[in-house]
Amino acid sequence: MTKNRIGSLFFLAFSTFYFYRVFSIKKMPGNQFEIMTASTFPFYIAITGIAISIILLILSFIEKDQAKLSLQYIKSLDLKTTLYFIMAMFFYGFTMKAWGFIISTAVFLAIGFLILKEKSLKKILIISISVSVGFYLLLNNVMGVYIDAGDLIDNLVGAIS
Amino acid sequence: MMDGILLGAATAFSMYNILMVIIGCFAGTFIGMIPGLGPISAIALMIPITYGMDPSSGLILISGVYYGAIFGGSTSSILINAPGVAGTVATSFDGYPMAQKGQAGKALAIAAYASFSGGTIAAIFLLFAAPALASVSLSFQSSDYFALMVLGLTAVAAFAGKGKFLKAAIMTIFGLMLATVGTDSDSGIARFTFGRMDLIDGISFLLLAMAAFALSEALMNVLENHKVSKQEEDELKKDIGTLKLTKQEVKEIIPTIGRSSVLGFFVGVLPGAGATIASFLAYGMERSFASAKDKLGFGKGSLKGLAAPESANNAACTGSFVPLLTLGIPGSGTTAIILGALLSYGIQPGPTMYIDNPALFWSVIISMYVGNFVLLVLNLPLIPYIAKLLAVPKQLLLPLIMFFSLVGVYLVTFNNFDIYMMTTFAVVALFLRIVDFPMAPMILGFILGGMMEDNLRRALTISDGSISFLWERPITLSILVLTVVLLLMPLISEFLAKMKKRKES
Repeated sequence: MTKNRIGSLFFLAFSTFYFYRVFSIKKMPGNQFEIMTASTFPFYIAITGIAISIILLILSFIEKDQAKLSLQYIKSLDLKTTLYFIMAMFFYGFTMKAWGFIISTAVFLAIGFLILKEKSLKKILIISISVSVGFYLLLNNVMGVYIDAGDLIDNLVGAIS
Repeated sequence: MMDGILLGAATAFSMYNILMVIIGCFAGTFIGMIPGLGPISAIALMIPITYGMDPSSGLILISGVYYGAIFGGSTSSILINAPGVAGTVATSFDGYPMAQKGQAGKALAIAAYASFSGGTIAAIFLLFAAPALASVSLSFQSSDYFALMVLGLTAVAAFAGKGKFLKAAIMTIFGLMLATVGTDSDSGIARFTFGRMDLIDGISFLLLAMAAFALSEALMNVLENHKVSKQEEDELKKDIGTLKLTKQEVKEIIPTIGRSSVLGFFVGVLPGAGATIASFLAYGMERSFASAKDKLGFGKGSLKGLAAPESANNAACTGSFVPLLTLGIPGSGTTAIILGALLSYGIQPGPTMYIDNPALFWSVIISMYVGNFVLLVLNLPLIPYIAKLLAVPKQLLLPLIMFFSLVGVYLVTFNNFDIYMMTTFAVVALFLRIVDFPMAPMILGFILGGMMEDNLRRALTISDGSISFLWERPITLSILVLTVVLLLMPLISEFLAKMKKRKES
């Protein structure tokens, strides 16, 4: 399948869904007297989106020598590693509040380095810990941007002091 | 006026104020390089420090921070494709490809020279034309702004190569659609929020820009997993920190810098337009002026493509001081913060400010020139070291880029939903990159979407629902005619080329 056809199908689906959702935008009493309501602008851009996607889709059938998404290219992609990274990012978001900034960042970076096959464990530990602690100190102590270190760290610091 | 300028010069060139400019530029550059902390955050961080100072020194420090933060934003755009500020999105189009080709130092140097020239040219304009320009900017109405937004959107033509116009157009529409998510500014009705409180404020620019550029770029690197041999890597890194520009290259970018600076300044003068539209328009304009051969280089590391938005965004920053200082109208979020600082010093900017407070008014304008010079002197020696960042091995650099992108967005709201949303957008952007749909028009549509809807609503209300506002005002009509010409230009040039070919054969 050509790249343009795949893209146009995606946008046709997205624009149609968007168009369908336009009708669920609430209407205020007296809206019929308004020149422009909350749904006017979205309505027109949805129609434009559908129209352009259809034109693009038709052209993808008419025009020859368009770039294709080949099976060979897809096979050459490292989908597994990419998927690991996407999962790591969701995991980072999930742990940010629960574990706090320092631990979740250090873990995320360490996982990232490991996924990309960094062999030196010393390097992994030094960089992930120094970046998370350093960035935390820079923001909290120099720039005055407060980030929660996390209950675990707070308790540890509290116990030491 | 001359007395005022001399008084301002005396104030700006005092040792203390020069020191303030240096500190401001340095702090601004540093803060601006961190994604998520743009000029607004940088200035907001500085305001408490300036409370104990003389208003002139305080404002000079703030101006230095402003310029520094914009330049810092360009650095992260060029090196890791992470435009933390809307004004530096266009910088990444050609800056990042240059960095990928092992010319990071050269790209940063061009950014520094272009910023310096843009800021300087605009400061000179500001010096002589500020009061006169203020009245012009005030004459712009909502219909003119709407037309200006439409003109801004036609810059998509600049990103669309041959046969790619429709792709760019659908991406612009996609950006406009994303801009409608959140609460409608007029009625207060929630749109496309799916009942989630996290979406009530809409999608932030930073989130979308980071996901579409930095994060998806990092993921693309992982996905395609290009194995580069040691020899190729050494070859790429050989000139990474070099700042050298050939005579030919300098000759090539000088006219671009001149044109873009003038355009940037005038667009910056208009409240609400600012550095973003200026940089996109300058990029589009340069691509239109380029020869057919040069056009192919845009988006792949063109020197003109980098110099144009860099000069324009700095010139627009200077231009945005015109409505602020002469009318008391902040034209952007950043100048709104500066207005707050001025009010806290007990100074009310307005038409009589340059008469009531000549030392402050003129010293700020002159210090802008000094600030640009300091920025150049300060940053040029640092460029080889900053560029070396790219020499960090890929297996360490990519997770770090992802971390800075994610945390930059998280810092703004402290809401982990933003991290989920950003990751989802990055996956969508990755898919769109694979099928060759350009990201830049989406960002442009997203930035202009809200402003466009607001101005359209106002214009329609003023004209009682009639679309006659499109041709009733000469300014609106002129901008729209220019838009049509820009849109038709690629078609006309293609038609002319075909005619020429036919004649030859």
